[in-house]
Amino acid sequence: MSEINLEKIDDYRWRIPKSYKPGMRVPGIIYADEKLLKDIRQDKAMEQVANVAFLPGIVKASLAMPDIHWGYGPCIGAVFATDPEEGGVITPGGVGFDINCGVRLLKTNLQYEDMKDKLKELTYALFSDVPSGVGSKGDIRVSAKEEKEILVKGSQWAVEKGYGTQEDLDCTEENGAIQGADPQAVSERAYERGKAQSGTLGSGNHFLEVQVIDQLYDRDACDELNLNLGQVMVMIHSGSRGFGYQVCEDYTRNMVHCLAKYNINVPDRQLASAPVNSPEGKNYLGAMKCAANYAWANRQCLMHLTRMAFERIFNRSWQKLGMFLIYDVAHNIAKIEKHMLDGKEKTLCVHRKGATRALPPGHPALPQRYRKLGQPVIIPGDMGRNSYLLVGQEGAAETFYSACHGAGRLKSRTASARSVNLDSLLKELESRGIIVKASGRSTIVEEAPQAYKDVNQVVDVVHNAGLAKRVCRMRPVGVIKG
Amino acid sequence: MKNKSYEIFEHTADIGVRVKGKDLQDLFKNAGLAIFQISSRKQFTRNKAHADIPIKLSANNLEELFVNWLNELLSLSSAKGLIFHNIKINKLEDNALEALAIGSDINNYKVNTEIKAATFHELKITQNEADWQAEVILDV
Repeated sequence: MSEINLEKIDDYRWRIPKSYKPGMRVPGIIYADEKLLKDIRQDKAMEQVANVAFLPGIVKASLAMPDIHWGYGPCIGAVFATDPEEGGVITPGGVGFDINCGVRLLKTNLQYEDMKDKLKELTYALFSDVPSGVGSKGDIRVSAKEEKEILVKGSQWAVEKGYGTQEDLDCTEENGAIQGADPQAVSERAYERGKAQSGTLGSGNHFLEVQVIDQLYDRDACDELNLNLGQVMVMIHSGSRGFGYQVCEDYTRNMVHCLAKYNINVPDRQLASAPVNSPEGKNYLGAMKCAANYAWANRQCLMHLTRMAFERIFNRSWQKLGMFLIYDVAHNIAKIEKHMLDGKEKTLCVHRKGATRALPPGHPALPQRYRKLGQPVIIPGDMGRNSYLLVGQEGAAETFYSACHGAGRLKSRTASARSVNLDSLLKELESRGIIVKASGRSTIVEEAPQAYKDVNQVVDVVHNAGLAKRVCRMRPVGVIKG
Repeated sequence: MKNKSYEIFEHTADIGVRVKGKDLQDLFKNAGLAIFQISSRKQFTRNKAHADIPIKLSANNLEELFVNWLNELLSLSSAKGLIFHNIKINKLEDNALEALAIGSDINNYKVNTEIKAATFHELKITQNEADWQAEVILDV
């Protein structure tokens, strides 16, 4: 329970003053309404917002999105930027173990009413064709040489193998391959952990969902994206698997030693960091980018397997089924980006840990097709409620063009597992037309809707604060969990 | 066999584990075994072979050594496809450890939870009158 005295800036912004803890270099700002704030106060997430403000070179504020909850190092939902020219640091804790955990959304031209008789068959086919579960290994086997290629080429590697098209790359953040990946900066152990896991979903909160659009908010944006009520969509949530965990672990271990070396004073060693421009900082960035590219290739492979399963069930090509990618976003990543700061353009190291980039209309980093609309921002919810598609807005300039990444956890996994009965949960979901298939029974109860905040409230805050605009809302009908 | 030397405490996103040991060596051993007892359950005997993996680690202090130790076990488990069910600590000082981790094929187990890593966040290692205790938060 946090007793921090927050200063109300407006209905959706709350400040942790710099004076809260000696050592804070900037204030903290939490995006939330009063209702969400009550939940946020229940754990130690706000303390973590204050801890991030200690990082050398941090600019403007330590930010937290409305899906904020207690993590390790920074909270989940954290956004912060450091200025490398002012000794700004990079921290593996500000990215997390699952580097480039992210989500992609693809549409279909199917209407739910026309396909619901096949939903069960489809969900079972997806569960059988898309490897999921702890340490799952994929059918998409890669050689050691190919693994190194994946780290540099990302999704491009998958497209060259025939697992997608050029258009998919155009609709992926960084075109599915962030530049500057350095395979030399990756340990042998990371290679070993990553080699069999390409094209696998993983476990925990990762999922593949068949969804249906149940609410349109912005008719013009929906027309531009060709989206209608009742349309069937697919959302894929996964990351860099064991490869990314190992990169984070290697560099956290290394950067704990940098705290003394570079005289960095932080209240939590999980904020272990090094100056962006130091050898350690550069190596981490090079290795982190490898993991990010691994994750993009992984989600590209997962989408390919999904398209193949649809082809099998509906007996039509994925192109004829209209299964085109809307967008793919990373929500655990650090990136070197240009932002305006006090009227000057600065090159900053922006950390997003449980936060999504949200570029506004007209931003030069956007592909031509989204220049007018703004960047699609994909917000997954829980398996029983909703997920959202939004687009970035100019208001997000104050968050280094970032928005939330999901609903945010409310209950611990153990508390959820204690309070939820698996059979009644499955029955309840089924009565609402939701089919769930999971590798482990425990995953379903740990990931039950009750364990999460209501994504509708979280998205309301993001929309009302002007960070991103609601386009449409989906509800799940077929859920694959690890 | 249930290891009574640990209990789980609440953390919103992850898992907190409180472990006890009669001495430091016992603490490291119990913590190492706890992470696999939390995440997996033996269900099959598909492969009877055992693998003994020697582990040698050094660190700046005891807390770092503890986190590095758990992460080394998790990393080896994932890379080699093993679940460790027995551990022998051969040498333990504040900044160095030598141990033998004994594991069997992961396919003999039902793995319920993927533990990504042990973290430094709110890590506590304390010596009580009669025993040692550690609290660690695991990223799942």
